[in-house]
Amino acid sequence: MESKTDSETKNQRHSIFSKHEISMLGIRSNLVQSSFSYERMHAPGFTWAQLPYWEKIYRDDPKGLSRVMTDNMEFINSSPPLYPILMGLLLSMEEDHVDSQTIKGLKNALFGPMAGIGDAIFWFTIMPIVGGISASIAKSGNVLGPILFFLVYLFLFWTRIPLAHLGYNLGAKAIDIIEDNSKIISHVASILGLTVIGALIASYVKMKLTIKVGAGGAVIDLQRQLLDKIFPNLLPFAFVFLLYWLLKKNINPIWLIIVTFALAIVMSLLGWM
Amino acid sequence: MEITFIQGLLIAIWAMIAGLDCWLQAFFIFRPIIVCTITGLILGDLKMGVIAGGLTELAFAGLTPAGGTQPPNTVLCGIMTVVVAYTNNIAPQTAIGLSLPFAMLMQYILLIYYSSFSLFLPTFDRYAEDGNAKAFKRLNLVPMAIVTLSFGIVAFLSAYAAQGPMRTLVNSMPHWLTHGFELAGGILPAVGFAMLLKVMLKARYLPYLLLGFVVASMIPFSNVLPVALVGAVFAMIEFYHSKDEEKTRAKIKELEANNQGGGMNDGI
Repeated sequence: MESKTDSETKNQRHSIFSKHEISMLGIRSNLVQSSFSYERMHAPGFTWAQLPYWEKIYRDDPKGLSRVMTDNMEFINSSPPLYPILMGLLLSMEEDHVDSQTIKGLKNALFGPMAGIGDAIFWFTIMPIVGGISASIAKSGNVLGPILFFLVYLFLFWTRIPLAHLGYNLGAKAIDIIEDNSKIISHVASILGLTVIGALIASYVKMKLTIKVGAGGAVIDLQRQLLDKIFPNLLPFAFVFLLYWLLKKNINPIWLIIVTFALAIVMSLLGWM
Repeated sequence: MEITFIQGLLIAIWAMIAGLDCWLQAFFIFRPIIVCTITGLILGDLKMGVIAGGLTELAFAGLTPAGGTQPPNTVLCGIMTVVVAYTNNIAPQTAIGLSLPFAMLMQYILLIYYSSFSLFLPTFDRYAEDGNAKAFKRLNLVPMAIVTLSFGIVAFLSAYAAQGPMRTLVNSMPHWLTHGFELAGGILPAVGFAMLLKVMLKARYLPYLLLGFVVASMIPFSNVLPVALVGAVFAMIEFYHSKDEEKTRAKIKELEANNQGGGMNDGI
């Protein structure tokens, strides 16, 4: 094994990969789920995505290649759209021949928090907002709805490229940035996400009683003359919280779907809705 | 209306494309809004596809694979919502309910794969140890091929081969049942939102949920963008607030550290 002095490693830094190759790392990050299994989640795909880069780094060092491949076959599970940052960062360290235990430790320290940020941003904030808006356009048969949805996600696909460059260029510095900001970002994303979910409940859960009750000669429309007078969309809100309460009791989501259908069919049979 | 063999094949091909995307989560064309639109295009009824896409997307808005649970599969749900609505001439909203069994079937197939693909790991490990990059890359194609083919086969059988029995079933459904399915299609988004809440809702965020709900109930507007902006306003306020707080906290720590140092010096 050849050992390198500090100055040598610094001179070498970021010299063997072209800009295009780093961009391709961002694209290749889409492969992380290719061999997903519960046992080690993204590990095989994660290794596959980075493999050509290690082949370049360890061209004359089969032992090094075997070592880095084995290291990366350990369990990893993070947020797919944020993998480019992690991969760029790890690649810059691998290229600098940072101690493998250090790289492994960093990888294991980062993927969990990054999964948290990624889920908060992509699934719980962007998805309800973009899905909600484009679905409301599509509902009337307007093809702009799906087009809007597609374009937004095409953009998000593209963001993997600058994210890979970001991770690669920042190198170890990215770690502090991620750790400093992860809490605030998921906090802020939660605020935005929950506001939107509140709006989605009001706009898109459709529950209206059609039953009319006779009370002393007068006929009362329960929905319009009672529930809507208390607060509009009262039923959808209450029903979501009923389901939420059931979920908190660890009831399987499949049961919630069954409960929903049972309720709807019973309501239809009774003629209440 | 009937689905021709060619249409069945096209649907199967589309299911493979969208299914692979569902597996990798790259372009998000596996979401119902896209799946339904393309399926509608294949069947020659784009408008119905788009409408079904909007409705199904909402029904699935909160049913995300994040957080470890695998929801009913969006690709099969999207395809079958359009197919059932098209072949039986019923409203997409009613068809969503009838498409769910197919979506759950695909969900369970994927769950089996998630468990059984662990069987590939020893081979991956061996190739990694040998530094055999070529074989390692090739082996990754196998699970992807299995998943892609499964989507194609399940979609073809569900859309083309099962249309006869499906029609008999739909025709034999009494009105209260079809109306019940239609109602369920409208209520279904509640399940997804409840699941989102389970992951996201903490007591400190409840005000924002209420804010969004109240604003959307009061503003008669066809989509949630205005409310999203209200949410963004609060998010920005909170962002700067948190940043300031962090700075103050850092300063306090610094002062405390200095004080302690000073105190110790005094003591000595």
